[in-house]
Amino acid sequence: MTAEPGGLGVGASPRRKEDARFLHGRGRFVADITRPGMLEVAFLRSPIAHARLLAVTKPAGQEKRVFTIADLDGIGTIRANSALPGFRVSEQPALAKDKVRHVGEAIAACVAESRAAAEDLAAICVLDYEALPAVSDMRTACSPTAPLLHESWSMNAFLETRRDDDVSGLDAIAAAKVTRTLRTSRQCMAPIEGRGVLAEWDPRLEQMIVTTSTQMPHVTKSGLADCLGLDEGQVRIVSPDVGGGFGYKGILLPEEIVCASLAIRLGRPVRWLEDRFEQLTAANCREHHYVITAWADRAGKLLGVECDAIVDAGAYSSYPFGACLEAAQIGSILPGPYILPLLRCHTVSACTNKPPILPYRGVARTGVCYAMETTLDALARQLGIMPQAIRLANLVPATAMPYRNLVGKVFDSGDYPESLRRAVAAIDVDKIRARQAAGETVGFGLATFCEQGAHGTSVYHAWGIPFVPGFEQAYARLAPDGVLELRVGVHSHGQGLETTLAQVAHEILGIHPDQVRVVHGDTALTPYSTGTWGSRAMVMAGGAVAEACRQLAERVAAIGAALMQVSGADVRVADGKVQRTDTDGFVTIADVARTWYRTPQNLPPGVNKGGLEVTAGYRPDPDTGTHSYACHAVVARVDTETGAVVLEDYVVVEDGGKLVNPMIVDGQVMGGLAQGIGTALYEEMPYDTEGQPLAATLADYLLPGTTDVPDVRLDHMETLSPWTTFGQKGIGESGAIGPPAAIVNAINDALAGLGAEVMDLPASPSRVLAAIQAARAVKA
Amino acid sequence: MSRISISLTVNGERTEVETEPREHLADLLRGRLMLTGTHVGCEHGVCGACTVEIDGVPARSCITYAGSCDGASVRTIEGFGDDTVMAALREAFMQEHALQCGYCTPGMLVAARDIVLRLPEADEARVREELAGNLCRCTGYRGIVRAVLGVLAARRPRSGHV
Amino acid sequence: MKPAVFSYARPKSWSDAVKLVASGARAGAGTQSLGPLLNLRLAQPDMIADLRHLPDYAGVVVSGGVLRIGAGTTHAAIEDGAVPGRTGEIMAGVARRIAYRPVRNRGTIGGSLAHADPAADWVAVLPALGGTAIALGLRGERRVPLAGFVTGIFETALASDELLRAVEVPTLPAGVRWGHWKFCRKVGEFSKVTACVLSVPGTAPRAVLAALDRPPLVIEDASALLDDTEAEAARIVSAFPELGEWRRAVAQTALRKAVAAVKQP
Repeated sequence: MTAEPGGLGVGASPRRKEDARFLHGRGRFVADITRPGMLEVAFLRSPIAHARLLAVTKPAGQEKRVFTIADLDGIGTIRANSALPGFRVSEQPALAKDKVRHVGEAIAACVAESRAAAEDLAAICVLDYEALPAVSDMRTACSPTAPLLHESWSMNAFLETRRDDDVSGLDAIAAAKVTRTLRTSRQCMAPIEGRGVLAEWDPRLEQMIVTTSTQMPHVTKSGLADCLGLDEGQVRIVSPDVGGGFGYKGILLPEEIVCASLAIRLGRPVRWLEDRFEQLTAANCREHHYVITAWADRAGKLLGVECDAIVDAGAYSSYPFGACLEAAQIGSILPGPYILPLLRCHTVSACTNKPPILPYRGVARTGVCYAMETTLDALARQLGIMPQAIRLANLVPATAMPYRNLVGKVFDSGDYPESLRRAVAAIDVDKIRARQAAGETVGFGLATFCEQGAHGTSVYHAWGIPFVPGFEQAYARLAPDGVLELRVGVHSHGQGLETTLAQVAHEILGIHPDQVRVVHGDTALTPYSTGTWGSRAMVMAGGAVAEACRQLAERVAAIGAALMQVSGADVRVADGKVQRTDTDGFVTIADVARTWYRTPQNLPPGVNKGGLEVTAGYRPDPDTGTHSYACHAVVARVDTETGAVVLEDYVVVEDGGKLVNPMIVDGQVMGGLAQGIGTALYEEMPYDTEGQPLAATLADYLLPGTTDVPDVRLDHMETLSPWTTFGQKGIGESGAIGPPAAIVNAINDALAGLGAEVMDLPASPSRVLAAIQAARAVKA
Repeated sequence: MSRISISLTVNGERTEVETEPREHLADLLRGRLMLTGTHVGCEHGVCGACTVEIDGVPARSCITYAGSCDGASVRTIEGFGDDTVMAALREAFMQEHALQCGYCTPGMLVAARDIVLRLPEADEARVREELAGNLCRCTGYRGIVRAVLGVLAARRPRSGHV
Repeated sequence: MKPAVFSYARPKSWSDAVKLVASGARAGAGTQSLGPLLNLRLAQPDMIADLRHLPDYAGVVVSGGVLRIGAGTTHAAIEDGAVPGRTGEIMAGVARRIAYRPVRNRGTIGGSLAHADPAADWVAVLPALGGTAIALGLRGERRVPLAGFVTGIFETALASDELLRAVEVPTLPAGVRWGHWKFCRKVGEFSKVTACVLSVPGTAPRAVLAALDRPPLVIEDASALLDDTEAEAARIVSAFPELGEWRRAVAQTALRKAVAAVKQP
C-alpha cells in the first residue's frame, strides 16, 4: 500500500493490502495445503432422496479404508436447536445412520492416497437400501399423508410461526387489494472455491487442528468440539484464504466432523475437498413460496398485508443458524422500509428430502423483498399510480428516525424517500414511457429495502440458536519495531478486512497501514468472535479495533509523554507519533515500543503493566442493528419472441452510513448485485418429484458472467448511524437483496401492455414467454 | 499402463513428472509441482479458474490430461515474472478493485492477458464477451472489465495526429 | 470428481490410431467435450488414444472446390481464419461463439462433431454447409455425408473401428447468403435451439434446425421456408411435440431469424 491522494484512514480508498498475493498466485487456500502422509477422502453419497439404509458392503480387501457411522462410534450428531416455541430438532448424523434423507447425504468416507483412488473405492462400495417415498414439494410436505422424514415428528415442519393482526376489515375500506402467488427458486451459493477440510491430530498438544474453508472459525470450533467430544481447547480451527463464503462457509459440515474423527483414528492427516458436483447437489439455499395479499387506500398507502409463506428448509437443521433462518424471519422483514399498520403472517419451515437450506447472502430478505416489492407494484398498477408514488406514500420518512416499526425493528437513521427519489431521477422514466407507447417491451422497475446488519445480543438471544453474538473483541499489540499487529475473530474472504481494519487503526494511531498486520482465521491466535456473517464485520470488528487502538493510544501517550518529560495532558497521538501539543516535539510510536521492550529501565513509574498489548471489546448501544438501505432502479427490455431479458440500465442509490473504504463498499454492492441478478434471471436448482437434483454442473446451474451483469451506476448517501464507532452500517449483503424485485418489476412493467406478469424466479426466458403466452391466451 | 512419465516445460523449466494418465493438468501442477496459483473451480471447463497457458495460448487445465501435456510448454500465474502486460494487468486489477477473494484471479489474469494481446482494439462489449468464460462470484465483474479496458487503452498508440 | 482409471496412448501413425480405436480405445483430441464427462465419470474409457500428434491432423487443404479440414483443427484456428474464403468467413463467425476462447484453443472441429452433442455448433452448422465427413477405418477412408453424420444423441455414423479424419466442405462463392441463429442464455453456453440457412445462388436453399435433444433436422430444399416463413416454420416445429412450448416457440423464432439473415439486403 502506497500513499494515496485520498488518505489512508476511515473514508479513504487505498489499494488493498491483500491484492498482491492473489495477483501473483500466492494466496493460500485449503486445497493448496498438504501434509506428509496425508490421506484424501471421497464420500460415498446417497443416490436417492429418501430410503432406509440396510447395508453398505465395503470392497473386499479394502474394508479398512471405508468408514461408515458404525466405524466412528462416539461422534455426536449435528443439532442446531432453536428456542422458538414449537421448534422440532433434527439429528443430523455426520454419516447417514439408518436412513438417508437427501440425495448427496454422506454415507461412508473412503480414504486413499489420492482423491481419484478414494473415488475408485467409493465407486465399488455396494449400497443396500429400501427406497421410501420422497417429500420433494414443500407445499405438500405437511399434508397428513406425506411420509415423515423424522419419524418422531408429527409433521414435516421444523417450525410454524404466526402473527395474527386482524385484517378482516380491510376489504371494506381498501381502494385496492391484490393477491399474488410467488415463488423463488432453490439456489446454490456457489462460491468459486468449494469447501475444503484438512484435519490433523497433534498428539503432543492432544489437539485437533482443522484447516477449513470457513468464515466463522470460532463457532465451527465450538460445534466441532461438541460433536467430537473434545473440550474446546483441544480444537483449533485454521481458516486460511477462503475463496468466497456468502454464508455457505459459516456452516459446520458433517464432512468436517468425519475428517477430524478419521484423523484421530488413522493417526494421519486427512483432507477432503468439495468438488463442484458435491457442492451443487448438496449446498442449497432460498426457495420460498408466498401467497401474499396487500390492501391500500386510494393514495397507495398500505393498510395491511397478509402473507402465507413456506420455505423449503430441506432435511436437517444445519449448525449454527438452523432450519428457520429464512422462514421465521419473513414476518419480521416483510414490512421492509415501510410504515405498515397491520400484518398477518403465517410461515412454515418445511422439512423435505432435499439438502438442508443454508444461509446465503441476503438471507430471507432477498425473497421477502421480492414478495413485498412485486406486490407493491401490482397494487400500483391496480391503482393506476407510478411505482415510485406508492413507495413514497409508505416509506418511513427521515423525520421519523430512529423508527420502531410494528414488528419492533428499529431503523437507526437515514432518508429512505431520498434514496428513491435519487434513483428515479437517474432513470429517464418519460423516455421509457415513450418507448412503451411506441410498442417496445421495455420497462422500469424499483426495489426499496433496508438491510439490518450487525444486530447482536438483543436480537439473537430470543432465537436461542447455538450462538448469540455478544461483545466483539479485537487484540492490538505494538511489536518492538513499532509494527502494529491486530488480531480479530472475524474472517476476511474477499471483504478486504486486512485493509479496512488497518485503515481504522491508521485513523486512531496514525500508523501507516503498511505497518499494520491483521491476523485472522485462526482460533489459536485470535479472540473469540461469532465470525463474519450478517453484514457485521465492519461494524463489530471495526468498532473493536478502534477501541483497542484507543486504549493502546492512551498507554503509548503515557509512555511518550514520560520520555519527553511532559505531562500526559500535553501530548496527543497522531501520525504514528506522540506529539507535544505545545511544541513540535515528538517521539514516534516506534520509539515508545522500543522503550517498552528493549529499554524498560526508561519507563516511567506507574506505567500501565499491561504494556503495549490490548484486548478491547465493543458492541454498539443499542445493538438492534444498523439499517443500511437502498433503492435499485432497473431498465429492462424483454424479447417477446424468446422471453429473454436484457438489463439496459441499473442504478443503485445506497446508504451504508460512513463508508470506511468506498472502493470496497462499491465492490461489495456490485458483487452482491451480480448474485442478485443470478437470483433474478439465471440460478435455479430444480428437483424432480423423486427429490433428484437436476443441475449437477455449472453448464446447468447458470452463474452470471461478464455479459450478464451491467456496468451498474452506484450512488451513495452517507447518513451516519448514531450507534456505531464511525457511523458505519453493515452493507455486505445489500447488493444481493434488491435485484430480483427490481428486475421482475421492470419486466412486469414492460409486459403490462400485454397484460402479462411474471411471478416465479428466476425470470428465465421460458417463464417470461409463458407469461406472455398465457396473457395472449386470455385475450384471445 | 496406470502410470506414465511425461516431460514438459513449466514456467520455462523443463521437468519430468511421473503421473497417472487420468490426472488433469491442474492437479499435476498443483499437487506434483506445488504450483498452487492455478485453482480448481468446477472441473468441467466452465468456470475458468484453472486457466493456464499451454503452448502459448490459454487453456483449461482441468480438462487437459497429463498424457497430452507430454512435450508441452505450460505457463501458470507464477510464471509471468516481468511480463509487461501481466504487470500492467496486475496494477490495473488493484486500481479497479478487480478482485475480492482472489480465487478466480489467476485464471482471470491469464485470460485477460490473452485478450489484451490478441484483441488490441476490443471495446467493452468484446471484452465482456471474451471474459464470459471466467466466472467470478465476488466482484460483479465491473472492476475486472474496467481493468482490462484500461490496459487496452494504455497500450494503444496515442491518437490525435493522422 | 476425478476420472476413473484410463491408460494413454499417443499413436504416431493413422494406422496405429485406427488399430487402437478398433481395439476399444476412445479417440481423444482436445478433450474439451470428453473431459467433463471423464471428470464426472460419465465416460470411463479404458484407454484414450490421443490423436493430436498425428500427421496432418490439423490444417486445411483446398482442392477443386473443396476444403478439406483436418479433424484436429481447433475452433480457435477456424475463428482466426484458418479456413479461407466465404466458407471460412461463415465458419469463423460460428467458431467465435463456441464456448470460450481457452476451450476453443484446444477443442477441435472433429472432436466436437464426433462427440455428437446435439447442442454443439458444428453438429448444426456443417450439415447446413453441405459436405462430407471423412471416416478412417481399418479398410481405409470412407465418405459420409455430413447431413447424416450425427445419428443420435452422442451417436454418429462412425463405426466402432473408425475415426473421424477430416471434414470436407465446399468453397462457397462470395454471393452465398448465410443465416445462423442460436439461443443461449449466456455467452458460451450450449445452444438451446440453433437454426441455419444457406442460400447458394442457383441452388435450392438448405436449412438445419438443431440443438433439440435429437440429431439435427436437415431440410435439403428449404424454398418453402424462405417463401412462407411463418407457416413453414410452424409446420416444421410442430413435428416436435416432445419439446416444451418454450423450446418450440424459440425454434420457430430461430428459423425466422436465420431466414431473415439470409434475406437481409
